[in-house]
Amino acid sequence: MEEEFINIKNSAMSIIFDAKDLKELEEIKLQFLGRSGKLTLAIKEISKLPKEKRPEVGQLANEIKKTIENLIDEKNRELTRKTKEYHEQKTVDITMPGIKPPLGHLHLITQAIEEITSIFEHIGFTRVRYPEVEWDWYAFEALNFPENHPARDDWETFFIESNSHPKFGPMLLTPHTSSGQIREMERKKTPPIRMLNIAKCYRRQSDVSHVPMFHQFEGLVVDKNISITHLKGTLDYFVRSYFGKDRKSRIRPYHFQFTEPSFEVDVSCGVCKGSARLPDGQSCKLCKEGWLEMGGSGMVHPNVLKNSGIDSKEYTGFAFGWGVERVLMMKEGIKIDDLRLIYLNNLDFLEQF
Amino acid sequence: MNIKILDSWLREYLKTKAKAPNLAEKLSLTSVSVERLEKHGESDFIYDIEITTNRPDLMSIIGLAREAAAILPQFGIEADFKEPKFETPEKPKENLDLEIKNDPSLVNRISAAIMEVNLGQSPDYIKKRLEASGIRSLNNVIDVTNYIMREIGYPTHVFDYDRLISKKIVIRESKKGEKITTLDEKTHLLQGGDIIAEDGKNEIIDLIAIMGLKNSIVTDKTKRIVFFINHAKPHRVRKTSMNLGIRTEAAILNEKEIDPELIKDALYKGIELFKKIADAKLISNTIDIYPNKPKTKQITVPLDKINRIIGVNVPAKTSVEILGKLGFNTKLAENNIAVTIPTWRLGDVGIEEDVIEEVARVYGYHKLPSVLPPLIKADDYSLANDPFYWEKRIKNALKYWEFTEVYTYSMVSEEILEGPTKDSVKIKNPLTQDMVYMRKTLVPSLLQVVRENKNRENLKIFELSNVYHPRQSNLPNEITMLAGIIKKENVSFYETKGIIEQLLNDIGIEDLSFTTKESGGLGSSISIKDDYIGEIEILEENIADFELNFETIKKHANLKKIYKPLLKFPPIIEDMRIISDPKITYKKIVSVIKKQSDLIVDVSLLDIYEDKKTFRIKYQDPNKNLTNEEVSKIREKITLALEKELKIKIV
Repeated sequence: MEEEFINIKNSAMSIIFDAKDLKELEEIKLQFLGRSGKLTLAIKEISKLPKEKRPEVGQLANEIKKTIENLIDEKNRELTRKTKEYHEQKTVDITMPGIKPPLGHLHLITQAIEEITSIFEHIGFTRVRYPEVEWDWYAFEALNFPENHPARDDWETFFIESNSHPKFGPMLLTPHTSSGQIREMERKKTPPIRMLNIAKCYRRQSDVSHVPMFHQFEGLVVDKNISITHLKGTLDYFVRSYFGKDRKSRIRPYHFQFTEPSFEVDVSCGVCKGSARLPDGQSCKLCKEGWLEMGGSGMVHPNVLKNSGIDSKEYTGFAFGWGVERVLMMKEGIKIDDLRLIYLNNLDFLEQF
Repeated sequence: MNIKILDSWLREYLKTKAKAPNLAEKLSLTSVSVERLEKHGESDFIYDIEITTNRPDLMSIIGLAREAAAILPQFGIEADFKEPKFETPEKPKENLDLEIKNDPSLVNRISAAIMEVNLGQSPDYIKKRLEASGIRSLNNVIDVTNYIMREIGYPTHVFDYDRLISKKIVIRESKKGEKITTLDEKTHLLQGGDIIAEDGKNEIIDLIAIMGLKNSIVTDKTKRIVFFINHAKPHRVRKTSMNLGIRTEAAILNEKEIDPELIKDALYKGIELFKKIADAKLISNTIDIYPNKPKTKQITVPLDKINRIIGVNVPAKTSVEILGKLGFNTKLAENNIAVTIPTWRLGDVGIEEDVIEEVARVYGYHKLPSVLPPLIKADDYSLANDPFYWEKRIKNALKYWEFTEVYTYSMVSEEILEGPTKDSVKIKNPLTQDMVYMRKTLVPSLLQVVRENKNRENLKIFELSNVYHPRQSNLPNEITMLAGIIKKENVSFYETKGIIEQLLNDIGIEDLSFTTKESGGLGSSISIKDDYIGEIEILEENIADFELNFETIKKHANLKKIYKPLLKFPPIIEDMRIISDPKITYKKIVSVIKKQSDLIVDVSLLDIYEDKKTFRIKYQDPNKNLTNEEVSKIREKITLALEKELKIKIV
């Protein structure tokens, strides 16, 4: 008799497990628990057993009945859920727009600054920030600009209505992030220095390729035995990381007051792929013989080291200062024909990025 | 500055088999950038070259030929510089009158000669060379001056000798208010301090080193000329040229450190050319007034320093060869090279590093390996103290809450400045009236953006930028501010407040207090503990703005994490609806409720309907299951306290 009950349980379990839909499950329920179901009939048989055996078998029968009921309930829930999902899915228009969480936009410049920062932080540079309103000393004099240099006159640099500092000269809006070189060397006093200074700069200019306020990023590395090869290494790393592996870079002679030797850094043109010719044979209008100028760099001038309190006999260094807007425009795919658009804050423009 | 030259002209002084495209590439890599190379006619090329301001010696055919001859051998290409020799002219039979009175504080050298000329057209090869250089051919006399400027790199001038009535040229400073008419028939008012030539009777006859004047230049009728070359103080030339807006090529060259030694070459070559193409005859002795001769300079460079800066070992022999071909005299010792600087490089080469640059660039930057600088020691880093980390977090949070970031100019108009102009950082030489002051607040700039996007009925924008507060005898205080604007119909104070609360809570700032705005109006002042950080302002029915001191926020931002044990026993939650006087603040009600028992772990506002507020109260005991009796006792306490202390009725 016990065996019969165990068998009923086992067969019920497998049949319930395999049930495909609610209708089948209902039939299974009747088959076992209905008035003339297998289990119901078996329970009726218990009364025919000898009296002393009845409680034991009765208890077993009850447990089995409970198990089967639970199994059916569970299966019922599972099948109900599946059926519901199925029906719901049938009515979904998957081409309808999804319900999106709110999303704004970071400014192009912020995005570029974040990318530039990440790249240089990977090779040990520390980002800093220094005053935008500066003394002449930091912006020019300590950077080895001669007194009559054109950048120091009223046509190129914004000056502030203010008394000159007895030591540091006139107050002005810094025209480049290079002023941060002096500030960083003063702050750290002893190399090694590996600075990344990204900041707003100001120049008296406004046309399709110039804005009076713009952003530069300045690198400065000062240590023992820093050579041109290190500048090349750093520059190549940046160009590969920012522009991609298929863009090349080169340095060529140039002239800046605060570096010696000085270099102009070129990156191969992303439009003509450095060939200076477009696929239709026309010459590329964007670049110069296949190259785009990214900006200046060089070995820190010994006078600049001296002016910042660093021993130029013991230490050498390199520096570079490039325009954030410029590298942004040199990246493929961003063809903004008027730089001033970046600061017009037309939301239709800003929301593109 | 750029120069255009013909390949065939260059080869008059340069002997090499290198073809133009190859030469262009090598020049760009090691000297000056050839920005364009254009084919010209059947077999010629035009180079368009950018010359850096430190190399005015390369603004010439001869300079570039010398440079190319130094460079090409380093690429394994043979090249020779055909150094020009200019013959001293034969002494003429007659010597016409001309008195030149120099002021050595203004002009370093003057050379001149008087010639009889036959005005006419230049031969074709001269015209062709000039026109390829972007210079219009006018007549043979003017063409000579331009030809010399291109070939030798020195600007020259011609006066009509017969129009110089007094036969005197006196160099002096201009006085403020003096008037001149330049050869392009424009009249200029001088500001004083400009270098001019006058005729000894106060009539100005030349704007020295910049442009000829209408009253003394060559005309169709000219028979006799004064060929006139000078070296004026460069910064004076620049000042005058910029002041008057006369940017001639002569001015651009003369404001650089060009070599006064070239004047003799220019004079002799000029005399030769006038004879050749203008049937000229020398009718005076050559004049040379040379009070300020440049001093020669010697620099000794240690060999190991050359290698240390370049980063690879350059053989001493190579350095000597490179410098020699560039015109430097060298003497090699065991550990160093002694170098004498050629006169045409005196303005540019002054220290060891300058000499090393010459070696390095011609040796070839492209040959050097790329090596990352070794990182032996790095700065300590603290994420929580990294200001840029907090900026990024804040910006991203706002972005994901639908704000669009803007960048507006730091310089603003008086109108946008808002507030007294006296107490502001003012630009002395603004570009436009829109950009005169350094701003002290961001919101007005953002409102400008709102106005410029007036088609948008809904917008959310923000900016994180500096404002500038002047300080006595110090640089202005630059403070980073975070400002934002929400524009929408029926903009809500609570929404704006919620953004700020959530923004600051997310970066670990909890102790926020919102108090009545001192300036009045709808909105609130905000502080973290006792530090005031800014305001929320409901400006219009559809515009809310906020501006917060980000420096203070950064000071309080933190990454501290505190673990509170999770409660094992379930809370009991119940809602309580009250009717209260609207003057009784939310804060007050919550504090009265909370005060009644430590088992109240949270009170929050569920709903407001007219004067009814529904609060949700959460009771929880960390040590056991709460019973209904315990909760109902606390509830009675709350009811009593609210009624007694705040006269609030429970519904």
